This record gives sequence, C-alpha cells and structure tokens, in this order.
Amino acid sequence: MSRSSRFTKSLRGRPDRKLVSAIMLFFFSAFFLLAFKGELNWQGFMLAAVVPLLIYIATMWLPRFFPADKLLLSIANFLCALGVLVLYSTDLIKGTNYGMQQAVYYGAGILAMLFCILLVRYIRYWRVFIYIIAVCALGLMALPLAFGTEVYGATNWIVISGISLQPSEIVKLALLLVLSYYMSRRRFWPWLIFAVLCMGVLMFQADLGTALIYYMTTLLLYYASTGNLWMTGLGLLGGAGSAVYGYFKFAHVKRRIAVWRNPWMDFENTGYQIVQILMAIASGGLFGMGLGLGYPTIIPVYQTDAIFAVICEQFGIIFGVLVLCMYGILILRGAFIARNARRSFHGLLALGATIMLGLQTFVIIGGVLKLIPLTGVTMPFVSAGGTSMVSCMGLIGLLQGVATVNQDDLTYDYEVSHNRADEESLPFANPDT
Amino acid sequence: MKPLHTRFRLVTLFLIGLLLLAGLYGVYSITVYGNRWFASSRNLRYREAKSEVIAGDIIDRNGVLLATTDAQGERVYQADKEARQSVVHLIGDRDGNVANGVDSFDASYLLGFETTLPERVLTLIKGEQRHGDDVTVTVDSKLNTVIVRAFNTHVRTKDKSGAAVVMNYKTGEIVGFVSVPVFDPANISDAVKADTRHPFWNRATQSTLPPGSTFKIITASSALENLEDIENRTFTCTGATQVMGSTITDFGNAQHGQLQLPKAFRVSCNNTFAQIALLLGDNALRRTAENFGFNDNFLFRDIVVENSTYPTENRTLIELAWSGDGQSQIAATPMHMCMVAAAIANNGVMMEPRLLSRVTSPEGLVRLRMTLKVYRRAVSEEIAEIIRGYMLDTVSRGTATAAQVDGLSIAGKTGSAESSLDGRDVTHAWFVGFIDDARYPYAVCVFVEEGTSGGGAAAPIAQAIFRYIQAYFPFQ
Repeated sequence: MSRSSRFTKSLRGRPDRKLVSAIMLFFFSAFFLLAFKGELNWQGFMLAAVVPLLIYIATMWLPRFFPADKLLLSIANFLCALGVLVLYSTDLIKGTNYGMQQAVYYGAGILAMLFCILLVRYIRYWRVFIYIIAVCALGLMALPLAFGTEVYGATNWIVISGISLQPSEIVKLALLLVLSYYMSRRRFWPWLIFAVLCMGVLMFQADLGTALIYYMTTLLLYYASTGNLWMTGLGLLGGAGSAVYGYFKFAHVKRRIAVWRNPWMDFENTGYQIVQILMAIASGGLFGMGLGLGYPTIIPVYQTDAIFAVICEQFGIIFGVLVLCMYGILILRGAFIARNARRSFHGLLALGATIMLGLQTFVIIGGVLKLIPLTGVTMPFVSAGGTSMVSCMGLIGLLQGVATVNQDDLTYDYEVSHNRADEESLPFANPDT
Repeated sequence: MKPLHTRFRLVTLFLIGLLLLAGLYGVYSITVYGNRWFASSRNLRYREAKSEVIAGDIIDRNGVLLATTDAQGERVYQADKEARQSVVHLIGDRDGNVANGVDSFDASYLLGFETTLPERVLTLIKGEQRHGDDVTVTVDSKLNTVIVRAFNTHVRTKDKSGAAVVMNYKTGEIVGFVSVPVFDPANISDAVKADTRHPFWNRATQSTLPPGSTFKIITASSALENLEDIENRTFTCTGATQVMGSTITDFGNAQHGQLQLPKAFRVSCNNTFAQIALLLGDNALRRTAENFGFNDNFLFRDIVVENSTYPTENRTLIELAWSGDGQSQIAATPMHMCMVAAAIANNGVMMEPRLLSRVTSPEGLVRLRMTLKVYRRAVSEEIAEIIRGYMLDTVSRGTATAAQVDGLSIAGKTGSAESSLDGRDVTHAWFVGFIDDARYPYAVCVFVEEGTSGGGAAAPIAQAIFRYIQAYFPFQ
C-alpha cells in the first residue's frame, strides 16, 4: 500500500523532505496534544497549524528561489520551533503568553534571515556600504547609554513605544560584516577600532556576557584570518586582564562568580536561580517529566537564561544532549560553508557567524550546567525574545547567503567546463540526480 | 603559519570541543550529583508535587509504619509520641527543618517521580489520584526508641546532645540512627525552634568533630602498616612529652610509665600515640586515614554524610603529635566513625552505609531492592585482626569496661575529644565498637557532646544498644 501512496513516493530519494516532514509532524502533534491539556486551548490548535507552516516556508519554499543549505535550515528551524513549543508549554502552567509571542518572533526571524541572504547574495559594492553599516551600528549601540533601562545589572535595553530592543544583538551582524570585510582586505585598524568601540560600549553598559562573545569572536576570527599566534596570545592576555578588572569593578560580576563556586551557600538570594536550575535538570532525569509536565516555572527567568533547564526537565538530559549535538552539526555545517567559500570575505563571514553561534551556545548552556558562571545571554533560536531571534536567524541568513553564492560558483564552474552544453543534466540544479 | 583552511578547521574543532565539554560535564554532574540536587530540602517541586501525588509510606525493617499520608494529603507520623520523636532525624519533618531525612532524600520515590509511563497512563485511565512508592528503611525504630531512652535516663548523658549509629558491618545496613535532642515532628513548638542545642541538627551525619582517642584505631593501623616490629617496641609515658615547647598530656593527667602498643591502646595513652605519630610522619598517617575514608567526597546512594577531614595545612610537629590522638583539626561524623569500627570488624573491608531496604510501587511491585556495595578496603586483614584483639582487650580490661555485656564478646575504643563549642573548651565523649560474633554483626558509634569521658558517658549507651541487639535481634 505504501508503495502506491503518492506521499511516500514523493519522499523517496529526498532526505531533505523526509527530515522536514518528520520535524513538521513532531511539532504538529506536540502542539495538538498540548491543546488538550486542561481546558481546550485554541492557541494550541493555532500553533499546531502555524509553526509547521513556518517551518515549511523557511526550509522548503524559500530554497526554491536560491540554492540554500537545507540541513542547516532544518536544524535552525527545529530549534526555533522547539523554543515556541517549550514556551507554550510553560504558558499552560503559568498562564503567560510567551508561546504566541515567540511564534510571531519566529516569523520575524525568517524575514531577517531572508534579508541577510539577499544582502550577502546581491550586494556587490561593499566599500561604501560597510561604512554605512559601521556608523549605523555604533549609533544603535550607543542608544541605551542615552535612554536605556537596567535589567539584571546590565543597561543594554531600549524601549521604543512599548517594544523593547537589545541593540547589541543586532549589532552582532554588523560586527561580523565589518570584521570579515576589513580582515579579508588585510586592513588592521578599521576593524580593530570598530570592535574596540563596540566592546567599550558593552563594558560601559556592564553587559559582560555579550562582551565576552564579541571579544572571543573577534579574537578567533583574527586568528583564522592571519594565523598570527603571537597577537592572538596577546589578545587573550588582554582579555584575561580585563576579565580580572571586570571582576573587581562590577559588584554583580563578583556575586555571579561567588554563586558559581558554591550556589548552595546563599541559596535564598543570589544562588536561587542556579540552584533551581540544577534541581529542574535533576528532576527531569534521563527521559524527562514529559511535555507540559513538571514545574519549570519555579526557575527565575526560565523563559530566557534558563530555557535549557526547562527543556531538560520536560524532555530529559538525553534530549538535552541531543539539542547540544544539533548545535554541533550547525557548527560543522557552518564551517563547511566557510571552507567552500571562494572569496575570503565570504569565508570569514561564514566562519564568524559559526563562531558567534557556537560561543553563545557554550556560554549559556555551560552556564546553565554550572560549568562556567551563568551570564544573561540568550540560547540561540530557543530563548524567548524578538531581538535575539532576529539576530540568530540573521546569522543563519549570512551563512545561507554565503552558501548560495558557493553553490552558484559551483554551477558556474560546471557550466564553463561543459560549455553550457546540456543544462538538463546539471547535478546541482536538480537534487533528484 | 598554517594555511587558511587548517586554521578554519582548528577554530571549528575548538568550538566543537567546547560543546562536547559542556555535554560531558552536564551528563557527569547529573549522574553524580543529580540525586542530591533533587533531594535538597529546598526543592520547591515537592511542595508542588504534593498537591498532585499522594506521598508513599515509610516503613521500618520490622514493618512498623513510620510515616503515611492522610486523606487531606498531610504527612502523619506514629501515634506514640516517644516513638515518632525517636525517628524524627531519620524521617524528617513536614516543614523541612531536618536536612536530608528519608522523607526528602527519597522524595523521588515517595512522590512518584520514578513511576514508569505505563503506570502513569494506567492511573490516568482509572481516574485515580497518583500514589507515590512506599519506602522500607533498614532501621529498627524500636532500637531508636531504646537509644533515645538510654540517653535520657543515664545520669551522664541526661539533657546532653549526642548521636548514635548502629550498622551491620557485613552489609552496611544502618539499623539504629539517632541524634539527640529529639523533637516532636507533629507539634514543633517555639521552644524547640529557639533551643540553643539545635534539635533540628542531625548530629549523626552533619556534625564533624574531633574523634579523639577513637582515632587511635587508625594511628595503630598506620603504625602496624609502616613501622617494623612496632608491637614489641617499648615507649615511655611521662605524662608530659615535650614537642616544640608544648606538652602532650594524658586524660586525667595519668602517667603510664613503660608500655608497649597493646597496652597503650588499652589504656588510651596519648603520649605513646603522639610518639608513634611522630615516628610515622604526616604522610604515612594521612595515607592510612585516607584509606579509612578521610578527605574523601562521600557520595553514598541513600544517605548524605558530611565529609571527614585529615588536615593538609599547617602541619607542624606538635600538630602531627596531636593528630596521633585524633585532635588537631581532624574531624569526622559519628556515622563515619561507626564505619571505621565496622571496617575493623569486617576484616578491614568498609561497606557502604545503606538506609534504603526496598522501594515498592502502590501495586506491590518491588522497584528497588538494597544491594551490597563495598565502599573501600581500609586496612589489611592481618592488621584488622590485630586491632580487633586490642579492641576486645579494651572492653574486657581497658577504658571501655562499661560497654561489657554478659554472653557477648564486645570490642571497642573510647574517646574523649577536646574541642571548642561556642567559644568554650569542652570535652566530647565517644565510643566506637562492635560485637565480635558472626551471629550479631553490628558495629556501634555513640557520641555525647560535652560528655567528658568516653568510658563514663558513651560506653553505657553502647551497652544498652548491645543488650537490645542480644535480646531482640534474630540470629543471622
């Protein structure tokens, strides 16, 4: 029967379709089931339709227009949808409205990704454009200094007519563009000045988790582009120095370090969050409490910082490790794209985006697991929040932009070597062969 | 300088390495510490879970119901006040004042966190409220009552704080587990909360104290391990050995004159053991102490025990000399000292202490049954044999005669440990020992805060325990 089914036939020999169908089915059934938890919940039915649709649009429909890397797309979209799912399940426990919000952000993230793909693919004259980006980015970055609000010890938010924004998230994209543009042209000072200015503002705002990610990305990208070990080592030393300075300068850094070393000492106050995180992960055990079950909302800031603990409590540590593996595949795929790039600008851009995603994942998941002190950075794709979603999907957009250019180059090579003889047999245009 | 793509690969490897590190660390810490994090009395999940799940029962080794849940979901303890008081540190109380009682440490069973998916689905279909698992502990609650009564009736322990642990040295099962003062879990009065003796504190597992002369078991083991022909060497006790300008004194300022190791052990001569410690040196003594579990991170499956310490800093000769007598920042819990005596009794093999006998699901399915586990080999069989002889001697004609029981061969060691409490100099009383009889394989540790003399205050309590075991425990 299955042989004759049109659906199974359409899957044969198309691993990307199988993967995406499985992901869509997973989320459809998850939301559908959650809708029946407690009272019948219309939001669940809506999300059961909307989320798989968004996944389909981003991973199957968009790549019709340019040859994107589908594996990378599928994983990023899985993680985004997982964020919506987990947030929606906590909504049912606590009566909040993060799930729907996150679904909207997810849509915005797909638009941001599209924008970045087009940016990398179609902008040819970066010489002037990069100036505009740099100036706009610095302006945006400085905005919270003028009228920002303090959240958990760091002043890195601005609120414009009810919508709150975290400029440092968006500027990440600009940082990568500026770094890779000037590094690929072997001009030292422009990118250094830009990076130092950005990090200066971040230090001034006391947003140290983000500053760490900016800093390490710059350093690793510098090493990758020049291979200059001496300067990289010098940079590391400087970073360690400023970390020590930060420890003595900012009270909230000192507190976080002390809490990291022994969270049980001051359980009632400063250690409360990490202790609750650890107990959440522990109560999930290997296989978790089950979707929509457990008590993850006890954890303070469960929706952003501690979302990995929520995942572990509901799905178990094994699933948590699998999520980590997905980030691993994301990194490998990103590195693959960077390696295949023909222009060093594109190569560094793709590698930079990969580094940034990898570091951010490590900083937050390492923090949640108490491997390193917990900082307030978001978990890429999964944490609640629009700016974070837009910037992470923007990073994927940059990667995909490079990937499409790579694919175009390959196609061009093929055409040249075959004198454009037989367009039907091009191996890359038609995935069936 | 490496080519571009090699550097790309290096950076990628670095990132993958970071994620791998996070993953491995996460899995490691969950497997090693997960249960402890979960069992923390600060875990708010219990309070949440209690509204959905009916907590299971706690039953002692003879089937006595120690804690159950009533129709309103409240925890109910034994009706008899004396009985429920004497197991309060074992079980814990409703408000979580006692740390790591069975009620909180085994909450993952009692509150049904270990229930399998099919079982959950089945109760869902039946439309019943979920029941947690029942937990059977290894403790004999009557023995606990006897111990508390002994503490309250003996002249030298009345109104004093202390602890007692009784364990089966062959299996590691804990059969008696008491910390005094006790309090009534059904009715916690303000007087209890304000009591300066801290009744909530579980002295058996949470108080680390200088073990005093009971530590001489370890010093003697170390001497037999490291010093040749030590049994025949003669020491001189002037009652005032000089080390670095300080004086080693003996209990009651005794002077034992010329004596050898067996006698020094029997009369608990501080001067001799200080000289032995100096002969051994710090490293040898520490190695033996660490073989007995000092400085180890105790991660037992059923029970949380504070770690014991043999100091590693500021090791001057006078500190070393006092270490031979179990002073000088050496600290251990009564639970650990009971394990030390148990190791000697069990031919040098230390068993992991166990408190959980079995876990049964509401349908009567046995989910978990106690398994034996060797914690470590503390000392060789030959040396354990020699020390056992010393300890038998100590009870028959040494410092611990107060622990004798007709018809049982008892081995033991007393201790009078100098310490400071709230700024005062005090002397705590210790007794560790065991029944040297395969039919009654039980080791005992009794600790009396400010008891002054191990032989006077702690040994009589041990005697009461041994008598109870002789009368009520079945032959094994």
